[in-house]
Amino acid sequence: MEDNELVALAQSGDARAFTMLVRHHERSLYAAAYAITRSQWDAADAVQDALADAYVHIKGLRDPARFGAWVSRIVVNECNDLLRKRARVVPMEDPPEPQAFVWDGPEDGLDLMRAVQTLSPDHREVIALRYFRDLKVAEIAEVLGCPPGTVKSRLNRAIGSLEATLRPGTGQEVPR
Amino acid sequence: MNCSDVRDMLESYIADDLTDVESARVAEHLSECATCSATYERTRNLVAGLKEIADAFVPADRFVVPPAYATGPKGGWAWRVAAIAASVVALAAVSALSVPAIARELPLPVAREIGALEERADELQQQVDELTVRLETIDGQEVAIVDTTEGDLSAEESEAVQRLAMDFVRAQYAGDPDALAAMGTDRLKADLAAHPGDYLRAGGDGLTFAQMTEAARTEDGTYLIFVRLSDSGDWSESQYQEDFEIKRVGDTYLVDFMGMDA
Ligand SMILES: [Zn+2]
Repeated sequence: MEDNELVALAQSGDARAFTMLVRHHERSLYAAAYAITRSQWDAADAVQDALADAYVHIKGLRDPARFGAWVSRIVVNECNDLLRKRARVVPMEDPPEPQAFVWDGPEDGLDLMRAVQTLSPDHREVIALRYFRDLKVAEIAEVLGCPPGTVKSRLNRAIGSLEATLRPGTGQEVPR
Repeated sequence: MNCSDVRDMLESYIADDLTDVESARVAEHLSECATCSATYERTRNLVAGLKEIADAFVPADRFVVPPAYATGPKGGWAWRVAAIAASVVALAAVSALSVPAIARELPLPVAREIGALEERADELQQQVDELTVRLETIDGQEVAIVDTTEGDLSAEESEAVQRLAMDFVRAQYAGDPDALAAMGTDRLKADLAAHPGDYLRAGGDGLTFAQMTEAARTEDGTYLIFVRLSDSGDWSESQYQEDFEIKRVGDTYLVDFMGMDA
């Protein structure tokens, strides 16, 4: 079933439909939250809280086609709330085990995520929204509340930084 | 269009976020400019890697939505579960397949199950008092069924729904997506195709149907049934529940939804 139909059903109170929406989006939402918060546990909390919020407010979403961007914005806001709180407490390393996620990708895929996590907060956001959440520039602009031109230039600079970080032969270690 | 313009548009070009006209212009420049073309290849590789990341993150704990506290009084799966449990209260316990001896020690899990249901709806309390145990044969196997009150379904109907749920679970552990699809509605087929990992399981050697409810029917004709499973030899470990919604299409029963509870 398409997201549009599921959104319409969820808006009429069908919790199953909402659950299916969650299943469709949970991986990319989690990836986006992990890129932004850089903590596997904060990412899980941000997504859980955002989905609870989305469930309560989904009736207010006028255009079902905008669900993807809409729920992205809620997750980004939750992440930024967490980052603000974290800024005031002593940084804590993720415990090594157990993991809040299971990696179901190629071996070097996590290295790429680590590289994304070394970017500045603004750049982490645009990369997460663009490539994990698959949003258009116009949608990212809406999510972040900034002009499309700003999104484009952030994307270009973020890509440039990633290429510099990952370029082989520089011997640059990706810091955690 | 010069190199600088093209570099600015390259990311959007790769992400297919340009107008047709813009896109054609970038493509034209790339076909003529080796430097930009090399940059394009490099960026495209990076982007391809980025795009693969998201789908590889499988949250270890599934997100529970709607959360219990957000469930309204009407509508929604959780409410229907509570309503059906209250009106039918046909909790049965089934031990089948491998049937470890301990599985005969009913109705402890039933009590646990009722406790869980009670948390969802207070009014269940008075309706889940009396349990009786009887033996029945479902799907060729003698099973212990714990029953409270009688449901409004015929025995054939209830058994057909129970049998479908059991067959579905067996196909999950057999890792057989075709068999699952054949037992599902279009809605389930679509979800199965998109999220096979949500349905296919491995290692069903120790599969035990620890407990199963009688089938119940909602106002719109959907059948609900909950199956509690254990998939390890140790019956007290690795237990979880599958919630089924089943539709009747002609003479055939099809699974419309399968959701998991811990
Ligand atoms: Zn050029």
